[in-house]
Formats: sequence, C-alpha cells, structure tokens
Amino acid sequence: MQDSTQPWCEIDASASPATLTLHGHWRLANTEAIWRELRVLRLQLPLCINADNLQDFDSTGALMLLRALDQAGISSDDVQWRALDAQHRRILSGVQRRLPATRNPLDTQDRSGILGLFARVGENAAALGTLLLGHLNFLGATLAAAAHLIVQPRQLRGKELTVQFEQVCVSALPVVALVTLLIGITIAYLLGLQAEKYGANIFVVDGVGIGMTREFAPIIVATIVAGRSGAAFTAQLGAMRLTEEIDAIRTLGLAPMQVLVLPRVLALVVALPLLVFVGDVMGILGAMLIADPLLGLTPSTVIDRLHGSLDITHFWAGLVKAPVFALFIAVIGCRMGILVQRDTRAVGLATTSTVVQSIVSVILLDAAFAVVFQELGI
Amino acid sequence: MTPDAAPTTRDMPVVEVDNVVTRFGPQVVHDGVSFRIGRGTLTALIGGSGTGKSVLLREIIGLQRPTAGNIRVFGTDMWNAAEAQTAAVRRRFGMMFQDGALFSALTVAQNIRVPLLEHANIPGDLLHPLIELRLAQAGLTPDTGNKLPSQLSGGMRKRAAIARALALEPEILFLDEPTSGLDPATARSLDALVRSLVDDLGISVLVVTHDLDTLLTVVDRIIVLADGHVLADGPAAEVTAIDHPWIRSYFAIRTMTGTQSR
Ligand SMILES: Nc1ncnc2c1ncn2[C@@H]1O[C@H](COP(=O)(O)OP(=O)(O)OP(=O)(O)O)[C@@H](O)[C@H]1O
Ligand SMILES: [Mg+2]
Repeated sequence: MQDSTQPWCEIDASASPATLTLHGHWRLANTEAIWRELRVLRLQLPLCINADNLQDFDSTGALMLLRALDQAGISSDDVQWRALDAQHRRILSGVQRRLPATRNPLDTQDRSGILGLFARVGENAAALGTLLLGHLNFLGATLAAAAHLIVQPRQLRGKELTVQFEQVCVSALPVVALVTLLIGITIAYLLGLQAEKYGANIFVVDGVGIGMTREFAPIIVATIVAGRSGAAFTAQLGAMRLTEEIDAIRTLGLAPMQVLVLPRVLALVVALPLLVFVGDVMGILGAMLIADPLLGLTPSTVIDRLHGSLDITHFWAGLVKAPVFALFIAVIGCRMGILVQRDTRAVGLATTSTVVQSIVSVILLDAAFAVVFQELGI
Repeated sequence: MTPDAAPTTRDMPVVEVDNVVTRFGPQVVHDGVSFRIGRGTLTALIGGSGTGKSVLLREIIGLQRPTAGNIRVFGTDMWNAAEAQTAAVRRRFGMMFQDGALFSALTVAQNIRVPLLEHANIPGDLLHPLIELRLAQAGLTPDTGNKLPSQLSGGMRKRAAIARALALEPEILFLDEPTSGLDPATARSLDALVRSLVDDLGISVLVVTHDLDTLLTVVDRIIVLADGHVLADGPAAEVTAIDHPWIRSYFAIRTMTGTQSR
C-alpha cells in the first residue's frame, strides 16, 4: 500500500534525457526512506528531474538530493528541472548556496572500533600526563606562596583560614570519630577471634595499637577528608569559576592563590594531623570497648599494655604522613576547581575526579612512606 | 508515517491567538489579545516594557497557561489538546530563547544533534552533513560546530541558538529579542539571516524585538501590544503612521536619532 506522503522516486532511463521522478513528501520526517531510495539510484548525465509529483520539500530533502547528485559527480546546474515550484526552487538553491561553505568538515573522526580505542587511550594518557604535570606545577606555586607567607606573614588571610579550618576540621570531627571508632571495634574483633584460639588475647592490643596509629587512622581519615573537603574545594572554586568570581578576584588586584588556595591548603594541612590523632584515639577506644566483653581485657589492662608495647614511633610515623596527604588533597582539590571551564557539567566531573585523584595519591604516598620508613628502619 | 508530518494547508494560519486574557493576581497583563499569523511571514511583536510580549510568547509555545482565551498553533489548541498532539506540534516550531539557552556542556554541533537524534531518524552518514547545513543556514562555519557555547561571541551564540531551533525544519520560528546586546552590524546581518530563512525556506517567524532597524527594514508586519490589547497590526508603514501617543514616541526616537546622525 502506498501512502501518498511516502517519499519515493523512479528513474526512467529509456526517456531522453533520463528522467528521475520524485514523489511524495521529501521532508525531515522521512529522511530514512528518502536516503534508502537515493542510495540505490545510478544517476548519470544527461538527467532530468521531474518534480511534478513532489508534494512537499524541505531543506533536509534538498540536502539529500544534492548529496546524491554530488556523489554521482553531477552538478545540479547541469540537471534539467521540470515542474519544480517556486518555493521548492528557493529551498533548493538556498541549500545549494550554503553547501560549498561546508567543504571544510566538522570534526568527524571515527571514535568507534579498535583504532578509535587506541586513539582514545592515547589521548587520555596524554591528557593525564598534562594534568599531573600541571598539578606538580601548582604544588610548586602553592609551596612558593606559602614560603612567601613566612617572609610576609601579614598576607595571610586569617579570617578565610579560620572559616576553612572550621569547615574541614571541626565539622569533620563527628564523622571521623564515628568511622574510626567502628574500624577500631572491627579490627579488635577480627584479631580477637584469631588471637583467642592461641590464647594470645593480649596481643590484640599491640595489633590494634600499631595498625591503627600507623596505617588505618591516617589512610581512613585522609579518605574521608578527600571525599569531604577535597570535593568541597573543587565544587566551591569550580562554581566561582562559573560565576567568573575568580576572574573578578584577579581584576580587583588580588591573587586567587593568596585569597582562595592558601587558606584552604593551610587549613587542611593543620587539620588532617589533628583529625588523625582523633582517629588514633577513637580507634583504640573502639578496641577497648570490645576487648572487655570479647577477650576479657579490662580497659586498664589495655592501657597498661599499650604503654609497654606501643612504640611511640608508630604513632609519629602515622602522624607525620597526615600533613603530606593533606597537602596533596588540598592542592588537587583547588587546582581541579580552578581548571573548571565555563560549563555546568564540568563542576560535577571535576569533583568526582578530585576524589578519585586524591584517594589514589594518598595510597601511593602511603606506599612511598612505607618504603622510606623501612629503609630508615622506623 | 506519522500523521504530524503532513503539512498544514497553505492558507491555514499557523498561529491563532484568540481573546487571550492573562492575569497575575490583580495585575492584568493581557485583556483580550487576538491576532493570527499566516505562512511565510515575518511578524514582529512590539510593545513597551512589561506589556507581556515574553509572556505571550511563552503562552503560544505552551510553557505558560493563559487565564482565558484560546491559542492554536497549526490548528491545535495548545492548552486543551491531548499531550500527544501538542508534542507533535512542538516538533513543528523552533524557539530561540533570549540568552540562547544552549546546553553549556555540549558543543554547538552536539546541541544541534540533540533534537535530531531525539525526534528524527537520521541515517548515520547523513547526520554530519545535516548539522553542517544547519550551521550554514544560521550563517556559521562548520568549525564553529566544534566549539562550546562558552567559547562563542554573543552574536555567534544567537546564531548557534537559531541553528538548533532550525534543526527539525520548523514551520514557524519564535525569536525573543534576537538582536539585543549585539552591535549594529551584527544585528543587521542577523536581520538579513532571519529574512532569508523566511524567503528561502518559506517558514514563518514571530519575533519579539525592540530593534527599530529590524522593524523598519525586514519585518512584513508589526503587532503592537499596549494596555493589554493589540493596539495596531499591519505593515511598518501603516503602523508608524498611526496617531497614538505611545506609537508616536516609540518611532519618534528613531526619527530624532535618524536626523541627528545625518
Ligand atoms: N510568572 C509571573 N508571575 C507574576 N507576574 C509575571 C510573571 N511573568 C511575568 N509577569 C509580569 O507580566 C508582565 C509582562 O512581562 P513580560 O516579561 O511579558 O514583559 P515584556 O513585554 O516581555 O517586557 P520586556 O520588553 O521588558 O521584556 C510584567 O509586569 C511581569 O512582571
Ligand atoms: Mg521580554
């Protein structure tokens, strides 16, 4: 059944010249059908196009017809047009007039397939390299600015620093305390189950003490802070980029580094060791909570044992890592925020990226610390 | 074959605004506004600030409900027809919002591709040529397609918005202040662009504008809104000749600056 709006065409090769007759609606809504019709045509000059039955025509229809002619190496000027109504002729010539300008094509690289995969991997690797180099550069600039503060301490934005400190440290206390308490309980419980079999209950205290202060508290607190404060830095600075506030800060003769970045970095560098300390205490407290009912170790036994067995260097080894983690988290968070271009989706992407980068860098740094401490015999 | 692909017969009005009343609380914005817009015409809607031009445009395209009265686009009552019908009508008009409302996270080409992928079955190898044609129809070069809206100048952003509005071959285009914030030369070239869309593609355009040059050079017909009514409706020459204080002062500014610059 042929619907009258259905676009189709027929070619009469026996006529002289060969005649292509167009039928139906050559419109955007029928693009697929038209393209199918045109694909199978073998066109050659001399050619006459009969538009007598062409009921409707728009610029998409014209584009397809012109492309089909173009692919057959035919210029539409050499075609005899029959019964093309004035409006349709204007559409056709309008499209034709604009076509030559489109020879310089869009970025149409094919990103599917194996080759596309390699291209994407390469592009992403190169982008990652640039990003990391940029981070390094930014880290240097931040340290230089911080060094500058030592010479001119008055440039420190005290108020901004306090505000940031409150946000990254004080507000983070509850979640840090809760999470490390639970981790302390869990570790003591798991260790306790094993240690009990050998009657080595008391060594649970050593395990929790060393594990918590040296590794778990720093890593876990840094992860929480990366998700909380690193992401917040990126979102804050990214939003300020969008509203051009950072540009405004520059125009007012202020340095974003001084006003925005340094207070955040300093606040976090001070805050993270404090939070790690809270984490140490809460972790051991958690262990104490469960040691009494599970292992029969009273809190005073635990504390005594800690005094005797927990070498203070473990505690310092954990605490020393914290400011370094903080520096990386803050620098990544700030730089990712400043990198945001003027586009709404970018803030979300940058925030996600900050969290991933911060956590990965914390773990890499921790591994590096482990090797260094080993070599130093700490 | 979708029924909405059938074009409206040539003599049928594209937009019919019938006794529209709009009230916001005690404030009466429209108090019985009526007009029709035919095919292939370039019509301007003018009026003082706050006379409800933008509101009327939003009512026509179905974003805001009038308090009373009827609005039909392609014969479909935008406020009483079934959702499927109004959705079909929506596909037949294009709208350019004043600030462009381009998707900021997408390049210009991707912006044009959104409606194409959503509402039309475009064969893959035709998508790029079609996007390039839309860019060219809006007077943009193909490489502009690779840019993000934030990387464009004001005039280019307006053109990009027009290119996206043209994506689905609309039969009528609504433009809200297309030349505001542009330098005179860019504004004139945008006028010429809009005129050529009407002439080449045969589409209708309804433009809200304060730009007297647009009004006096490229527009076929001017509808003047004042005090909630249609104060005047006709070709520029007729409307400017009407003896009404608001119309006189509106066009007098033009005559004054015109004589000064000469
Ligand atoms: N959602 C709304 N709620 C209340 N009042 C509104 C609302 N939208 C518009 N108005 C009022 O309707 C009137 C008309 O607004 P509109 O934006 O249409 O003016 P306009 O003619 O486009 O003016 P301009 O030329 O300045 O853009 C104004 O007085 C406005 O305050
Ligand atoms: Mg307005």
